[in-house]
Parts: sequence; structure tokens; C-alpha cells
Amino acid sequence: MRYIATLFLLFASLSCMKWEYGLEEEFDITGEGLFICNEGNFQYGNATLTYYDPETKKVQNEVFYRANAMKLGDVAQSMIIRDGIGWVVVNNSHVVFAIDINTFKEVGRITNLTSPRYIHFVNDEKAYITQIWDNRIFIVNPKRYEVIGYIEVPNMEMETGSTEQMVQYGKYLFVNCWSYQNRILKIDTETDEIVDELVVGIQPTSLVMDCNNKLWTVTDGGYEGSPYGHEAPSLYRIDAETFTIEKQFKFSFGDWPSEVQLNGTKDKIYWLNDDVWEMDVTADRVPVRPFLPYNGTLYYGLTICPRTGDVYIADAIDYVQQGMVYRYSKDKELIDSFYVGIIPGAFCWK
Amino acid sequence: MKRLLAILCIVFTPLLAIAQESDWVRKGINIPEVAVYGNRPIKEIGAQQTKFDTIALKENIALSMADVLTFNSAIFVKNYGRATLSTVAFRGTSPSHTQVSWNGMKINNPMLGMADFSMIPSYFIDDASLLHGTSSVNETGGGLGGAVKLATRPANANGFGVQYIQGIGSFKTFDEFLRLTYGDRHWQVSTRAVYSSSPNDYKYRNHDKKVNVYDEDMNIIDQYYPIERNRSGAYRDFHLLQEVYYNTGAGDRIGLNAWYIDSNRELAMLTVDHGDHTDFDNRQRENTFRGVVSWDHLRDSWKLGTKAGYIYTWMAYDYKRDLGNGVMAHMTRSRSRINTIYGQVDSEYYIGEKWLFTANIALHQHLVESRDKSIVLQDGNKGIVGYIKGRPELSGSVSAKWRPTDRFGTSIVLREDMFGKEWTPLIPALFVDGVLSERGNIIAKASLSRNYRFPTLNDLYFLPGGNPDLRSESGWTYDGGVSFAVGKEGIYSLSGSATWFESFIKDWIIWLPTPKGFFSPENIKDVHAYGVELKGNLDIALGQEWQMGANATFSWTPSINCGEPRTPADRSVGKQLPYVPEYSSTITGRLSWRSWSFLYKWCYYSERFTMSSNDLSLTGKLPPYFMSNISLERTVSLKWADLSLKGAVNNLFNEEYLSVLSRPMPGINFEIFIGITPKFN
Repeated sequence: MRYIATLFLLFASLSCMKWEYGLEEEFDITGEGLFICNEGNFQYGNATLTYYDPETKKVQNEVFYRANAMKLGDVAQSMIIRDGIGWVVVNNSHVVFAIDINTFKEVGRITNLTSPRYIHFVNDEKAYITQIWDNRIFIVNPKRYEVIGYIEVPNMEMETGSTEQMVQYGKYLFVNCWSYQNRILKIDTETDEIVDELVVGIQPTSLVMDCNNKLWTVTDGGYEGSPYGHEAPSLYRIDAETFTIEKQFKFSFGDWPSEVQLNGTKDKIYWLNDDVWEMDVTADRVPVRPFLPYNGTLYYGLTICPRTGDVYIADAIDYVQQGMVYRYSKDKELIDSFYVGIIPGAFCWK
Repeated sequence: MKRLLAILCIVFTPLLAIAQESDWVRKGINIPEVAVYGNRPIKEIGAQQTKFDTIALKENIALSMADVLTFNSAIFVKNYGRATLSTVAFRGTSPSHTQVSWNGMKINNPMLGMADFSMIPSYFIDDASLLHGTSSVNETGGGLGGAVKLATRPANANGFGVQYIQGIGSFKTFDEFLRLTYGDRHWQVSTRAVYSSSPNDYKYRNHDKKVNVYDEDMNIIDQYYPIERNRSGAYRDFHLLQEVYYNTGAGDRIGLNAWYIDSNRELAMLTVDHGDHTDFDNRQRENTFRGVVSWDHLRDSWKLGTKAGYIYTWMAYDYKRDLGNGVMAHMTRSRSRINTIYGQVDSEYYIGEKWLFTANIALHQHLVESRDKSIVLQDGNKGIVGYIKGRPELSGSVSAKWRPTDRFGTSIVLREDMFGKEWTPLIPALFVDGVLSERGNIIAKASLSRNYRFPTLNDLYFLPGGNPDLRSESGWTYDGGVSFAVGKEGIYSLSGSATWFESFIKDWIIWLPTPKGFFSPENIKDVHAYGVELKGNLDIALGQEWQMGANATFSWTPSINCGEPRTPADRSVGKQLPYVPEYSSTITGRLSWRSWSFLYKWCYYSERFTMSSNDLSLTGKLPPYFMSNISLERTVSLKWADLSLKGAVNNLFNEEYLSVLSRPMPGINFEIFIGITPKFN
């Protein structure tokens, strides 16, 4: 019996599988920098935030966790900065975190969201948050971190609800509707009402506005077998004033263009379509050759440094390891590459 | 510690209360004579097999087969939480590489390729065995890791019998089990029902998030880790199993098994979810019927068995959101129906005692209707995102087994599988075993096989993302090992085995995100899995009234990605697959005295990587997993009934832990079971 008791105690002593607490780390990083939202794996809650200093090339991974001793959440979708506060939208955690962009410490959070995708500030006391699987755009008061209303999108059902990126022109806000959708919405930010909409191709994924007040969106064309349709994707140039399509650049059937971005002066657009592409906003045709040709890397995210014009491309690799970000000069020279978190998808310049 | 002792007293004290001096049923562990090497069944030549005894299967009515496998085998059980999806994987492979059969009929979901072991109550299973690696080819194709064979058998009743067990546990958990039996010389009839329910709202301190305390100006003045309840984790499962067997007594047996499942489970919120659980309803429901009729015709030197079966599964997944006015609107509404028709013929033919020839052919015809999403089309009409597909799956094999002397045996199996219109190349498997020493019954075994697994229906057709261009996964595997058994009937028995295995799997299918925002499967990995499996069993009669038994398993299973780098930055090549533990172990100890029995269960999984590059990060840690459960049971035999009372303590040391990232597991919890078996004669 003595041996049995000893064995029991031995195994009892092995029971030490601790779910650890984090330790809060102090940061005070001023100056220019780049935040990278790493989505993490859906349902695993391993989204992270990376901070990169382009000057020193120093990379700080998991800064949200390290500064706050808690996890960022499940699927970090996007981030914007306004008045020294970074707003990180964490889709499947139903939250938007507000953080100090120098210390990375949380200063507040917006909850009661359905499935947030992007946030856009109308003014200090009003912001819009788009959603997927909800036919409403949430109106929030960022000062009080609370939902104060909704904009219901007509002819959109909850199950296929999808509102995405937002761009403001005067008092009007433009929103692309992506999943099983094909339109751009025009919202009057004074009345919070949808005043117009424009049908484009199937599933517009991005929305930006250039130096000439032209909106740019790219569609993914749906997918094979989709009852919503499957077509060749297109890049659209839309006049924000008249809200009409000025130009449609058609891609080949089966192409997957995505991630339309602008440079700092907003006179060039960039996008991914296996390769990285660059085009003047006044161009009449898509260039024949890419800006950076495909080199075996599966690009997932893209951003252009607004100050230097450097091009940053994210490689998600196999989506279950730390992704790689490549930094190229505007002359296409590789300046730096660094590992970030799992599935780097969105960037935000400080 | 005082609190723990107090609770233990509450759980176990009732056992003392019924300790009336009377006709105690002598429980304990039967210590049989050690089987001599010549008694090895010719059917199992060279096979690496783990069989589960009744003690493991019937230990606790609240256990699923996932729980049984976790504590009694070295295969990896990936558990997403209490009463949630639990999958099993052999030897560093994935759950879809495990083939699962119930009374001969495959029960892997043809859409997903895997089986959910949390939905199989162990009280419904009378025979369970694991066929490791190559050994699965004896039964079925596609088991690149192995196969799990589950079966029921006649209750061996004489007259009417009733058994009822009620379990009441922590988190308002109620488990009820009823079995009615009738038997005579020819007929054996059994009806079993299990009903389990719980709000499953166990408390845990959430280390992954903090709650903010704001001042009037909405500045954070304090933060703390909240003590939360497992949110939206309730479940209600009902199982009904009807069995009828007729034995002519002249070599013919007819059987009917029908199993109905009605399951309604919420899907618990993640630790990192900042939503209010009352705003969401995330729920999965399932109705499944499985029925098999069988006829076995046995003669002295040959046997013919036929089976026919049918499976109907309806699955619903609903994710709803309160719109703020009390109306719950669907964010996702997914429905699927699976109809499977099954037929199988087996035959065995013995020539003397040295030769056995077998042939087997099994057909599963699946008809699947998957309706994943309802959408509004561009023209304003409604459309459904989903697919309707049928696929026949045919698997046939022939084998020759030869044992020229008592000391040596060999067998060869040739199998061929067809899925849809695709045929696999011939699947060969070779087995040998031999006695190395009569003293200690030391036997060596080895086997070698090729195997294939076809993509599942979701792999091929799911919208969006299904990839009809996928290739079958294929693999070579071999194993070899030794076993021994010594003992003395009624005094002790000691047995053990050690096995080395190695597998090479090509074109491993993995679902990956795409830039279009959905997942799609690809053949991307070549995997080299190898390692060691150790098993041991000891039973000792310590005296007239004391008996002790112990089982232990240990596995070392490196499972290495050997594919090409996916991109130049890929650091996963040469690394252990994520979420596959390299080491795992289990120990079960039993001690019985008179009518008391005490059970201690322990299991261990080494740290699992959450990244294919095996990098360790602050947010991706899954530390080693240890778990200890105990139970104490007492049985009382009265004139009118047998009674049993049992107390169980799970997570004995009240560990705060995660099995999968963001899925908290319950701390220490308790359950009491009261069983009654009336005596009618």
C-alpha cells in the first residue's frame, strides 16, 4: 500500500499544466512606425499586433499582449489611428480596442457589436463600424465607447449582410458591400441615411479615394459554383462627386485581385493579383508588367509607406506560422524582411 | 485543500451509508490464466490491436468514448471542451485518418471525414478495439492512422432484466441510463437509453481577457481578470439503442441494432469573446439514426456474414444575434442531410488449423445535401449556397493467413477501394508474428502496408472552397514490436508490449484561408510520422479480499512535415505538426476490496505547438496537459435488487487549463451515480 500511495503522490506532483497569466510590459515608443494586424487562426484566439520601426528596422511582436497582459482576440481585422489612439477591430471577439499608440496600453473598448470589420470616424463623437453577417452599420460614440445607433442597409439580409471599407468625401461616406454583394453605398453622415447606391461587379473587396477624389474598388468576381455568380474580376474608378463609374479595368477570369492601396500622395494605386501591381490613378489601362513579380510568395496583405513610398507586402506562408513582411523601396529593392504574427492581413501607419 | 477534503467527503460519504452487512457482490478484477502463445487467434496474426475491457467501457455512464480513449489509450484525443467536438488521431496523423466503424458500418461523417467521439456514449459500446496503423487494413481502407472498431453484443440475459442508473453532478449535470433486457435460448433483446443534460456553465478565471473599470470620463481606472462562467455551453443529448438477436442454435445468428441520437448543444464562447452571451445563440443540433441488420452463418470450417445498414443524419448549425428588440436573427443558418446505405458480405474459410482465407466487400452509398447559407441573388431572388452530391464507396479485400507451426504465422491482405469512379491502386498488407520465447510468452509482430484516403465530400464540393482537383492522400506504414505475458491464474498477471512504427504520408490535405476570405483544401504536406508505443497491464490479487490492477500506455509520436517549403519564408519543414503532441501517456489504477472499488485515472499530453514552425509565442502556448480523475464505487446485493453507488471526482487537483487555445476546461467537479438492478426471480 505504501508503494501505491507513493505512486499516487508522484503523479499528483506532475499535475502542473498552468494556464499562465501575462506580465505587463512598459513601452514608450514615439516616432513613426507601422502596426501590423495579424489575424491569427479563426476560433483559436491567437490574433496579435506587431509594431515595426522603419527607421531602426526593429520589430516588436505581440505588443498588445505584452503591454496589457491579455489577448487581442480572435481575428484582428483592421486598425486605424486618430488623435494618438489606435482603434483595433477584432472581428470574432466582437470588440474594437482603443490603445495608446506609444505604450500600446488599452484606453477603452467598444463592445456589443455583431461581427465588426472596419471603423471610420465622422467626428470625435461619432464613428461607424461595418459588420459582416449583419445588415446594419453600427453608429458608435468613441468617447463613451458605446453603440448609439444603426444604419440599416436596404435589400440586405442579416445572413448575407456585409459592409466593409469606408471612405469619406465631404459629408458623404462610401462603403463597399462585399460578401454576396455587388454595390457601393453612399451615406449622408449628417442624417445617417443611405442616400444612394452604385452597382459594380460581384464582391467588391476594397475601397480607397485618390488625389482626384476618385474612388477605387476591386471585385473578386465571386467563386466557381457560387449561386450569386462567378465572373471575371474588375478594378473600378468611380467619381465621388457624381457617384458614377468612370472606368472599368477587366481582369482575366480566375484572377484574384485584392488589397487596393494608395501611396502617400494618392496618385498611384497598388493591388495584389499573384504579383504586386502599380498604376497611375490617371492611367487608361493596366500595366503589362507587374511592379513586383510573383516569386513563390503568397501575398496576403499590402501597404505603401505614405512618407517614403516603400512597399510592404505580407506573406501568410501556410497560415499557421508567423507570417513574413517584405519591405521594398519604390525602386523595387528589398530593404528588409521580418517575421510578424500568424496571418498578417492589415497595416496601419503611425 | 480543506474545501477539497470537505467536498470529497460529501461525494464519498453516501457510499458508507449503504454499507449494510449482507450479501455483498464480490467485485474485483478477474485474473485469468495467461494465454499461451499457441492460442493466438489466426485472424489476428501480426495485428497491433488495443482492446478495451468492460471495466474501461462501463466505468461511468457519463463517459463518452472520447473520455474512455483519453484515459485508456495512447492515441491523441483533441477535446474542444466538455461535451463538445472530440476527435481522435493515431500515431501523429489527423482525425480524418482514423476510420471508425460501429457493428461493421463506417460512421465517419462523409462530409467531414471524421467522427465525433463525444457523441458516442461508452455505455452503448460492448466491444471496442483500436487497430493501429497497418492493422486497420484488415478491416477497412483509408485508415492512414488506424481504425476504431465499436460494436454491441448480446446481453446474455436470461429472462427479464432492468438496470437504471442516475448520475447527478456539478454544473447541474444530470445523466440517466436505462437498460431493459430479455433473453432466452434463442432470443436476446435489449433496449438502452441515455439522457444527459447540463447548462455546463462551469466557472473559471479568464486569463485571456480583462474587465475594465472606468471613471465618469471613461478613463480606465482598474482592470482585472474576470471569473467567468463557461458561456453558451449547455447541452442535451438523448441516445436510444435497440438490439434484437436471434440465435437458431444451429449456427445461424440474426441481429438488429438501431441507434437513435437527438443532440442539442450550444457552442461555447471563446475566452477572448467580448460579446454578451445573451445576445448570441450559437447552437448545433443533430438527429442521427443508425441501423444494421446482420446474419451470420457459421459452420465448422467456414463462416458467412452479411450486413445491411442505413444511416440518416440531419445536422443544423444556427448562429443568431439579438437585434436589440428580443428578435434573434440568423447570422448563419446551415443545414445538412446525409443518407447512407450500407451493405457488407464477409466470409471466412479454414483449411485445417493452419490456413484461413477471408474475403470481404463493403459498400457505403452516401447521399449528401448541404445547405450552408441562404442568400439574396443579384436579381433579388433567393439562392442556396451548398451542394447535393452522392458517392458510392466500395471497399473489398481478400486475405490468406497461414500458421504452419504454433510458433510462426503470416498473413497477406489485398484490398481495393473505390470512391465515386476513382479506384485506388491495390492496397497490400503483410503481417507476420512469431514466438521468440515460450517462457514469458514473448511474441514478435511486424506488419507493412500501403494505404490511401480519398478526399471527403466537403473537401471536394463544399461551397465556397471545395477543391475537386484534390488527389488522394497516400501512405506507406510499417510497424514491429514484441509483447510478453506472464502470470498465475488467480494470483497475478503481467503483460506488456513495445511497438515501433513509421509512416510516410503524401499529399496530406489541409484547409487553408484564401485571399478571397474563405478556406480551401489543398494537398500540401508530406509527413513522416514515427515513434514508439508502449503498453502494460498488471493485475494482482493482494490477498483474500484485496485486488489491484493497473494499465499504462506511453507514446512517442514525432510527426514531421517533410514537404517542400510553401514559400521562401516557410519554416515548417522538418518540424512537428501543430496540435500533435510528441509524447502522451495514460495510467489507470484500480484497487478493490470486498465490494468496494477505487479507480484512479491519469493522462498526459506533452506541450503541443500551435504553429507549424514550432515557434513558441506568448499567445500561442499550450503547456503540457496532465489530468487526474478518481472514483469510488460500492455495490450491494440485496434479495430484491443489486444496488450500486459511486462518487467520481474529475480534475482532482483543480487545474486551470486549456486543451485547445481559447477553450477553457472545467476545474474540479463531482458526480454521484446511483444504480439499481432489480431481481425478478
